[in-house]
Amino acid sequence: MAQIDTSGGGGKKKKGAQKKMAIHVDFTPMVDMNMLLITFFMLCTTMIKSQTLQIVLPTNEDVKKEQQSQAKQSEAITLILDTEYNGDKPAVDANTGKTVHNIYYYEGIADTTFSTPNYLRKEEFIGNQNREAQGIRKILRGKNMQVMEEYEKLKTQWKNKEITKDEFDAAAKKNAADSLKTRPVVVIKPGPNTTYEGLINAIDEMNINQISRYSIELPTHTDTVLLRRYEQDHGQTIIRPTVRAKARTTAAAAATDAEASTNS
Amino acid sequence: MGKVKIKKKSTLIDMTAMSDVTVLLLTFFMLTSTFLQKEPTIVYTPSSVSEEKVPMNNLVTVLVSSADKSGKLEDPTLAEGKLFISFTGDADSTLSSEKIRGMMLDEAISVYNDQHKNNRITLNESQKAAFRSTNMIGVPFAALPEVLSMSVTERDKFLGDMTNPNVGIPINDNKDRDGRLNDFQIWLKAIYNVAQRINNEQGEGKSAEEKAMLSNLYTALMRKGQGIAIKADKDTPFTTVQLVFDNLQTMKLNKFSLMTALKSENEPTN
Repeated sequence: MAQIDTSGGGGKKKKGAQKKMAIHVDFTPMVDMNMLLITFFMLCTTMIKSQTLQIVLPTNEDVKKEQQSQAKQSEAITLILDTEYNGDKPAVDANTGKTVHNIYYYEGIADTTFSTPNYLRKEEFIGNQNREAQGIRKILRGKNMQVMEEYEKLKTQWKNKEITKDEFDAAAKKNAADSLKTRPVVVIKPGPNTTYEGLINAIDEMNINQISRYSIELPTHTDTVLLRRYEQDHGQTIIRPTVRAKARTTAAAAATDAEASTNS
Repeated sequence: MGKVKIKKKSTLIDMTAMSDVTVLLLTFFMLTSTFLQKEPTIVYTPSSVSEEKVPMNNLVTVLVSSADKSGKLEDPTLAEGKLFISFTGDADSTLSSEKIRGMMLDEAISVYNDQHKNNRITLNESQKAAFRSTNMIGVPFAALPEVLSMSVTERDKFLGDMTNPNVGIPINDNKDRDGRLNDFQIWLKAIYNVAQRINNEQGEGKSAEEKAMLSNLYTALMRKGQGIAIKADKDTPFTTVQLVFDNLQTMKLNKFSLMTALKSENEPTN
């Protein structure tokens, strides 16, 4: 592999002069080996590092009525989540290629008299468009305006390098929990057909909009009543048998059918 | 006509530069990437704007399997909601992952045997060693001795079959009729006990404040909520994940984290 070129330079050789040796080492095998190693690392490792989203849930023990903290009616907003299904798979939007999640929300106490058409409103997770909050984000942002204004100020300070990232984080946290400001209390209620992604999206909106007070609860009877009424008024089906329950019953029915046919 | 003489050229190419490049690439990959963890099932986590990284050490990961996507199963939901647990210990060797896993296994088995006096399980040394070297485990306690006796390839094959009723840690009954904990809760209890014991040992003779500053599994679990991470597929129904949440709440581990992928705030959420 390694060759030593001893041809020297021309014919004139001085006696006693040291021979100049050009050394060529062939690096081809070395390159081969490196390429193999690179291939190995590319296949067996990952560059993606997962992120974590922290949540705190309340205790699931029975809490006495007196001990429960009551949210002010004007501050409360309830989001009922739902995911659209296409057969037994979540429905995918043809344009964006993403799963379709719907949010049905109401402010304050549920209006079971249906006196206004706004007893339940429908929104979607749209995110930002042209740097403007859209969909449910716009509504939540509006509810949390005082905190968001301060937050934007802090953000500009941080971007202008007036404060460090740590200072910014601490200030933002304090700002989000500032009890002197009007802050909403959000109740997230994932419906039976909601996917995990729908829930994460909702928690994400809380983080984006700096909402410090939110809880995850299961839908109650009142919510079902509201959804039923919404279905009637808008001529669409929201409450379906859960996709999983349906799959189980059809499987069970098929099994009994098969049994019946073998018996007869 | 004179013959055209073809000059003989040396075909030697100097590969030194090429070698330099490949070594640089190799170094880059070695430094930036982390090894893929062997997991019995593949899940695609939903994305969030959270920028907090998953901790490398002192982490308990709960993997929730998703419905079958290969289309091989008649009822894809049969593969859904199987639980797997993995433990990662400290980066330094005194409380390495292997040692922590061993402690957790011993604790979990003693809790299990305490609750199931009529069908106790015992593991021999080689089975325990197999557990210590396994990254992710997800079988009912009753099947643990059998699964740990398998060879690594056999076990991977066994755990990869999501339709097998013996795959996945049982979670269904929050508490059964005799008030016993389910298998998932036993694991959580064992994790909590071990974490607390380690915290007490490390913090011996230290004040409560100093104890709270220790960076171990206990502080991660109790104070930061970074000790337990749930990894579930984005299309898994919430009800399936809710079951895991509910069990964590029952065990008073109300603070935990959810694993997500990164996305930017401006992206449409969906």
